[in-house]
Amino acid sequence: MKHGAKRGLKRRLRDAPAALLMLGASLVLLAVWTIYPLVRAIQTGHLSCDQTGRRCTEEGWGQYLDVFQSTQFQNALGVSVKLALMTVPAGLILGIGLAVLADKHLRGIGFFRTVFSSTIATSVAVASLVWFVLLQPEIGVLSDLFSGWIPALKNPGLLRDPGTALPAVALSSIWASLGFTFIVITAGLQSVPKELYESAYVDGAGSFRRFTNVTLPMLSPSILFISVVLTTRALQTYGEVALLTGGGPEPEKSTTTIPYLIYGKNSLISGNIGLKSAAAVLLFLISLVFALVQFRGFEKRVHYGN
Amino acid sequence: MATDIASVGAVHGWRKVGRYSLLVFIAVVVLFPIYAVLLQALKSGPDSLDHPRSLLPVDLTFSTIRAAWDQGDLGRLLMNSLFVSLVVTAGVIITSLLAAYAFAFLDFPFKGPIFVFYLATMLVPGEVTVVFNQRTADSLGWINSYQGLIVPSLASTFGVFLVRQVFLQLPRELREAASLDGVGHLRFLWEVAAPLSRPTLGALGLFTFLGTWNAYLWPSQVIRGDRAHETIQIGLDRLKNNDISKLNLVTGGLVVAALPIFVLLVVFQRQLVRGLTAGAVKG
Amino acid sequence: MRASHTRRPLYVLVAVSLVAACSGGGDITDPGDKATTPTSPADSVAPGETTAAATTTTVAPETLPDCPTDALASATGTTEITFWHSMSAALGEEVVKLTDAYNASQDKVKVNLVQGSYEETADNYFLANQGDRPDLVQLPEYQVQAMVDTASTVPVGQCIEASGYDTSAFLPTALNAYATQGVQWSMPFNISNPVLFYNKKVFAAAGLDPEQPPQSLDEMRQFSQQIVDSGAAKYGVALESGFDSGGGWYVEQWFAKAEQFYTDGDNGRTSRATKVLYNNDTGVELLTYLQALLQDGLAVNLGDNSQTGFDNLLKLADAQEPAAMTIATSASLGQVLVVLAGGQFPQLAPEDVGVGPMPGPDGKPGALIGGASLWPVDTGDDVRTAATWDFITYLVAAQQQSQWAAATGYIPVRTDATELEPYKTTLATDPRFSVAVAQLAASPDALTSSGPVVGPLREIRSVLATAVAAILDGADAKATLDAAADQANNLIADYNDRND
Repeated sequence: MKHGAKRGLKRRLRDAPAALLMLGASLVLLAVWTIYPLVRAIQTGHLSCDQTGRRCTEEGWGQYLDVFQSTQFQNALGVSVKLALMTVPAGLILGIGLAVLADKHLRGIGFFRTVFSSTIATSVAVASLVWFVLLQPEIGVLSDLFSGWIPALKNPGLLRDPGTALPAVALSSIWASLGFTFIVITAGLQSVPKELYESAYVDGAGSFRRFTNVTLPMLSPSILFISVVLTTRALQTYGEVALLTGGGPEPEKSTTTIPYLIYGKNSLISGNIGLKSAAAVLLFLISLVFALVQFRGFEKRVHYGN
Repeated sequence: MATDIASVGAVHGWRKVGRYSLLVFIAVVVLFPIYAVLLQALKSGPDSLDHPRSLLPVDLTFSTIRAAWDQGDLGRLLMNSLFVSLVVTAGVIITSLLAAYAFAFLDFPFKGPIFVFYLATMLVPGEVTVVFNQRTADSLGWINSYQGLIVPSLASTFGVFLVRQVFLQLPRELREAASLDGVGHLRFLWEVAAPLSRPTLGALGLFTFLGTWNAYLWPSQVIRGDRAHETIQIGLDRLKNNDISKLNLVTGGLVVAALPIFVLLVVFQRQLVRGLTAGAVKG
Repeated sequence: MRASHTRRPLYVLVAVSLVAACSGGGDITDPGDKATTPTSPADSVAPGETTAAATTTTVAPETLPDCPTDALASATGTTEITFWHSMSAALGEEVVKLTDAYNASQDKVKVNLVQGSYEETADNYFLANQGDRPDLVQLPEYQVQAMVDTASTVPVGQCIEASGYDTSAFLPTALNAYATQGVQWSMPFNISNPVLFYNKKVFAAAGLDPEQPPQSLDEMRQFSQQIVDSGAAKYGVALESGFDSGGGWYVEQWFAKAEQFYTDGDNGRTSRATKVLYNNDTGVELLTYLQALLQDGLAVNLGDNSQTGFDNLLKLADAQEPAAMTIATSASLGQVLVVLAGGQFPQLAPEDVGVGPMPGPDGKPGALIGGASLWPVDTGDDVRTAATWDFITYLVAAQQQSQWAAATGYIPVRTDATELEPYKTTLATDPRFSVAVAQLAASPDALTSSGPVVGPLREIRSVLATAVAAILDGADAKATLDAAADQANNLIADYNDRND
């Protein structure tokens, strides 16, 4: 035992210089550009500073709690959570549905696969502007086509109606994430061993049963991955709101998400770096909690390995 | 009638027609927003706020796109975006290869905690880091520069994990045989491990290129008014804010900004999927 | 198993968070529950009466940085200075043109430009170290108190005095807007103010004189009634509640027209502002008036105008349900005419657009300036300060102001610019551009004619805009204004606490 442990330690120390060399670049980069600002933000979150961020007084960690409990933050949290509820399940279902649909050996299926992945090529700006142009009541195409069914399209416009503004933002988000979801699920589908389907067929399972008993469980790691990514994106939605609604029709502020509360053009805390940092750190913690809850919550269902 | 076990899941006859129709319908729905905006960019004049009254691709003109190109100086912005995206992609592949190698093949003190450190960085949102990163960049003199755009993005935890996953699936004997032959770490990485992970590296490269090309938050903090260094996404934002009465100009800009990426995607879509499959996105 | 180790604490954390969230709940801008005296409804002040505290604070001249304007003469070589401006698109191009011409015309000073948006420029300026700040920065009119509080600039008044610069041709409203406590802090550069845009064709069809726009709010209502009754248009007025327009900035305008103070401290000009006054009778009357216009079908509410920024102007050109009048900034006149000339809105030709002064309570004249001003930064380097002053005098010289106004649609900061080309021709060919100029010149000489100066002015406008939106939707004007005033006062108290 001792001999083995000594060999292990020796080996570890021998590898150390090489490890240092190889990890060095990314370690330094991450430390400087990700961890350092996070630490600074946490530190600033309990300070109260002037406009320049220089003259600061200590407010205490209670500032974090106060920000969390404030009505504006709670409203923004509600908006962010609602957005997540609208985009994540829909995004998953659409992504899985499309991937399954396109997972057949049909002629020209490559074309359809490309079409379904295409939205991954859009940036937040591009996707939001596309939908911005489309949803303008006076100058967008959709109002001409569909205002018979959805009058709010034309009057006052989906983005200006407090009831439809957030769903419109969600729509733009879902569309933009479709490509990503499709690609990941397709990759997941292609790594399902065919034998599993064949043995299920032999056992007498119909296509639906094969889907629920073979496909879904084998897809579960990908589904979990997408769920976490989409939830994080929903909680951190900023660009779509900035471009589509500017924080949502007043006075309800129905699309003011937490990032928009901090950085939006009508933010009430733009001159207070202490509150901004506190809110940003809270956002990080909330994203972390949501991610962890999903990991733990799905752990039983996720099927790893063979 | 008994179906061949090999054709389980294959589609025939009416079901085939049904499937095709569904595929076409969804493709139309997914593509429609892009098509509509493309059409608006190609049909309406740049000075017009109007949208095309019909959806037919007739009476096309390139004047809007050309106007957007000139007014937004999109040519230079495309070059900037291309340069930055290529450098970052190369950098991310390199740093990911190195770090993944260390985690997959080396054993060293504090390996566990360091891994958790990497994990933690993946969840930190841009909103938290942006403000202080801007100060850091400022004190380094990197505002309005290529370094400012490139360096902070050179390490990607996602990349490290993806490549590590692939490395872990390489057979142990490969590494052991190589070390018996006296092959050092870097040589093994360069001559064996990396080539074997090519599909995954390709997928990582594509994702990184996409992400960098589409990035807006950080570039908008680093580039302040220096048109020479702006990327295409900032230019797009500028087009929208500047002359909102020329909304059609924005559609022209959108087409220019998104086109290269679409082309890239069309060409490499299959590799992207294959690369992800090899890496097996398994959490 | 590892999972159960982390699962329980995780769920406890979530539960605790939910409990924490549901209890309490203050205002994010008042986290420390700083002692704010409950605001009693402010009484309306008679016109001209001051609201300044008994002890007014004036800034002692000795404490201000010097402006050594003659340092440039003795300097050798070319002095390079940096100018952070916030003009984009066509406006930005004009700044570039002016700067290039200046650089080419002499070799003592070379100006380098950095452009950002108003918000970016402000953020970058505030957060930078003094050494990283530029020599000259252009900041909008709501940043006056914030800039003063940084104590990082050289008051333009020092330069004016040191060099004996003649400001007699300048619009008093423009200069006063950027002066507090007896100090001229910055130099106005680009000015606009809100004017009334109306459809002359509709006026004529309704039996109104197309050359006589309404001068008072009462007239605006009467005209709307006539228009709606005659069927010439669906709505009389298009209202919106954006915070830099109908929901915020215009309210300040209306208070100025009514010769009422918006904050205490004489609008923050004789002493630091500590609270807002807009929940007084004037404010309630004003917003109830707007609410009534909507409820009586004489106006349409276009929301917060966050989409295009000119939703209300588009409403004038609407094919099905147009409005006949709306208030918008004078700076958009040029753009409006260009768009209409494009023929995309056949029912509204450029010549059908009429421009009148912004109607106010009792038809009293005058307006507050919008736009931005130039702040020289105290770099500590005499030569660069002198060079910056030289550049400033160039930018606000009559010829440059004429060129600037003609190209951008802004109003020249000085009246003698209206007699020089190219602006002279602009005014002569289209007299609509002179409405905004005349409106500014008509501002009465009173403290209320300079708008409010208070630290978090932008945030206060945002709060008010939310309140106005609620009122336009039908909420009770008094209660909503009181709540908004409370929030605004919290903002001010918090700002003063951190920045004083």
